[in-house]
Amino acid sequence: MCLWPSGLPYCWVFFTRKKFLVRVTSHGVLKMAESEEEVDVLVQRVVKDITNAFKRNPNIDEIGVIPCPEARYNRSPIVLVENKLGVESWCVKFLLPYVHNKLLLYRQRKHWLDREALVDITCTLLLLNPDFTTAWNVRKELLQCGVLNPEKDLYLGKLALTKFPKSPETWIHRRWVLQQILRQFSVVGRSRKQQQQQGEAEQADGERSQQLSDHLARTLHQEMKVCSDAACRYPSNYNAWSHRIWVVQHMAKGNFKVFHDELSSMRLWVSMHVSDHSGFHYRQFLLKELITELSQTPASTTTCSPQHQSSTVPSVNPHHHSDTQANGELSGAEAAGEDERQLSLTTVLHLFHQEMELCSDLIQSFPGHETLWSHRRHVFYLWHQWRREHQHRCSNNGSSESVHLNNSDPGLTEVGAQSCAGRGESVNGQRHASEPMEIDRAPLPDPRDSKRLKRGVLLPAPPGLPCEHSFVSSILDRCSNPEQRRFALAYKKWLDTVMGPQP
Amino acid sequence: MKLYSLSILYKGATKANLLKAAYDLSSFSFFQRSSVQEFMTFTSALIVERTSQGSRASVKEQEYLCHVYVRNDNLGAVVIADTEYPQRVCFTLLDKVLEEFSRQVDSIDWPSGNPETINYKALDIHLSKYQNPREADAMSKVQAELDETKIILHNTMESLLERGEKLDDLVAKSEHLGNQSKAFYKTARKQNSCCEIM
Repeated sequence: MCLWPSGLPYCWVFFTRKKFLVRVTSHGVLKMAESEEEVDVLVQRVVKDITNAFKRNPNIDEIGVIPCPEARYNRSPIVLVENKLGVESWCVKFLLPYVHNKLLLYRQRKHWLDREALVDITCTLLLLNPDFTTAWNVRKELLQCGVLNPEKDLYLGKLALTKFPKSPETWIHRRWVLQQILRQFSVVGRSRKQQQQQGEAEQADGERSQQLSDHLARTLHQEMKVCSDAACRYPSNYNAWSHRIWVVQHMAKGNFKVFHDELSSMRLWVSMHVSDHSGFHYRQFLLKELITELSQTPASTTTCSPQHQSSTVPSVNPHHHSDTQANGELSGAEAAGEDERQLSLTTVLHLFHQEMELCSDLIQSFPGHETLWSHRRHVFYLWHQWRREHQHRCSNNGSSESVHLNNSDPGLTEVGAQSCAGRGESVNGQRHASEPMEIDRAPLPDPRDSKRLKRGVLLPAPPGLPCEHSFVSSILDRCSNPEQRRFALAYKKWLDTVMGPQP
Repeated sequence: MKLYSLSILYKGATKANLLKAAYDLSSFSFFQRSSVQEFMTFTSALIVERTSQGSRASVKEQEYLCHVYVRNDNLGAVVIADTEYPQRVCFTLLDKVLEEFSRQVDSIDWPSGNPETINYKALDIHLSKYQNPREADAMSKVQAELDETKIILHNTMESLLERGEKLDDLVAKSEHLGNQSKAFYKTARKQNSCCEIM
C-alpha cells in the first residue's frame, strides 16, 4: 500500500528465540535493531497507521488478520480494502507484546501516556486481543472523564467482535457502556418531568427528549444487529445470545412490541440454524416473557397492554372489543375486563400453538437434531406449567383444553377437538401437500379463525399429551434416521415419566 | 445451515479438471476468503480424484462436509456444506446440476475445459437457491430415489489418501494454492480450525 518515504523500513524479521528484532535494510543486509527507541518508533508508526485508517475511513466494518508469515514488501502491515481493516500476521507478534507492556507500565505508573496515546494504544490492543480487561478499564476511565464518547466504544467493540465473536470482555464492556447511555437517558427524562411540574416544559426540551428516545431505539436496533452478526459468525454463541437477552430486558422493558417482533424475526434464523441451542434458548426466553406478560391480572392487562396486543398480535381482531359490547352480551367495565382476559388467553394459546407447529415442522424437515427436540420439551413444559397455573380459567375437556368463555357456545369444544384432529393430520405428513410452509413471513391468521373470532370463538389447538404421543409415533413409524429415532424415544420417555402423571 | 461451494469437475486419468465453480464465502472473514476459496477448489479436486466412478461419498473435515458424486462418464460434482445442511438435499443438488451440465455442455469439451471456456452459468443460481433447503423444494421427493446406505462416509480427509501420503505434503506441492493460502493452512492446522488464525 503506502511505501515509506524515508527513514526506517517496515520489513522486519523477528527471531523469537533470541528475542530481539533484526531489520532488513535497503541493501538487503540483516542488521540488528539498534536500540529500544528504534523499536519504539516503528511500533508507534503501526499504531498511528491504525488510527489514521479509522480517520481515513469512518465506515470500517470488519477487522481481520492477513496470513503472511514474513514481511515481503516495504510497506505498512495495515491494509484497508473495501471498508475492511487487515493486519498482516507477521507484525502481530511484535506489535501485541509491545502495546501490552506499554499499557501495563502506564497502569503501574512507571510510564506516562497522554490521553491521545492511551486512546490509540487501547484501540490497537483491543482489536488484537479484546479480552484484555485492563485496556477496557482504561477506556471506561477515558469515557467517564469525557475523552471518549460511548458510541466510539460501542463501535470499537463491534469491530473486535467481527474477529472475536465470543470475546466475553467485549460483551461485558458493551453492557457497561449501554448502562451509561441508559443512565444519561433517564437523567434527562427525570429533569424533564421536574420542569413540567414547574410548568416550564419547553418545546425544545420535548424535542431533545424525542431525539433521545430515537437515539435509544437506534442503539437497540444496532445492538440486535451486532448480536445477530456475532451469532452468525460463531455457532451456538452463548455470549452473543445472553447479551441479546440482557439488551431486550434492559432497553425494551415493558415494550412488548419489541418482544413480538423479535419472536417473529427469529423464526427464519432458527429455521436456518437448527442445531444452534443458544438461538432456541433465546426463543424460549421471548416466549416465556410474552406469556408472563399476557397472563398477568386482568386489571393490569387492561391498563397496559391493549395497544401492544392490537398492534403486534396478528390473529387478534382489533374490533373484537367493540363488537361484543355492541352485541350487548355484557355491559361496561365487566365486559371489557372479561374481553381483555379472553384476548390474552387466546393470544397465549396462539403463541404455544405456533411454537409447537414450528417445532414439528423443523423436526420433520431436519431429522436428527437434538436441539429441536429439547426445544419441544421446553415449550411443552412451559405450556404444562402455564396451564397448571391458570387452570381456574381453563376447563379441561379430556384431550382438548378450551378457554372458559362467558357465553357458553356449544360449538366451542367441537372447535377444540377439530383443531386437535387437524394437528393429528399434519403430524401424519399430509399438511405439506396442502399448506405452504410459513417460515419467512409473519404467520397469518387462518381466515376461518377470524370468522370464529367475530362469533366470539377463537381457538387454536392447544398442545396436549395425546397430540404429543401421536407426533412421536408418526416420527417413529416412518423415520429411519437412527439419531432421530433415539431423540423421539427419549422424548416419549420424558413425556411418560415427567409429564405423564398430570391430572 | 450453509453451502459454501459447488463445483463441477472432470475426473481424468490422474487429475481432476475443474470445469466450473460457484462459491458463497460471505460467512468467512474478508481477508480469508481468497485462501478459503483456493482450499475449497483444491479439496474438491482432491476428492474427485480419490472417488471411484459411479459412486457417492461424504467427507467430513472439521466442521465441514464435502459431498461428492462422480458419474460413470467421469463427470463429477462436489458441494461443500456445513454439518447442519441435510445430506440428502446435497445429493439431489449434485444429481440435478450434473444432469443439467451434461445436457448443456458437449462432452468433447469436458477433458480439456476450464472455468473460462465452459459456458454454463446456472451454478451460482443453484448455489444461492439451495442455501435454504426448503425453498429448493428438494426435501420430500428425494427420499425414495436415493439409497442412503450406498453413500460412503469418510470421517477425515486423511482416509481418502493412500498409504504414506500426507495432506500436508499435498498442500505444499499444490500448484493451485498460493503462498498466502499455504501460510493460512499452516496456521489453521496448528489451531485445528479453519476459522481462527491467531
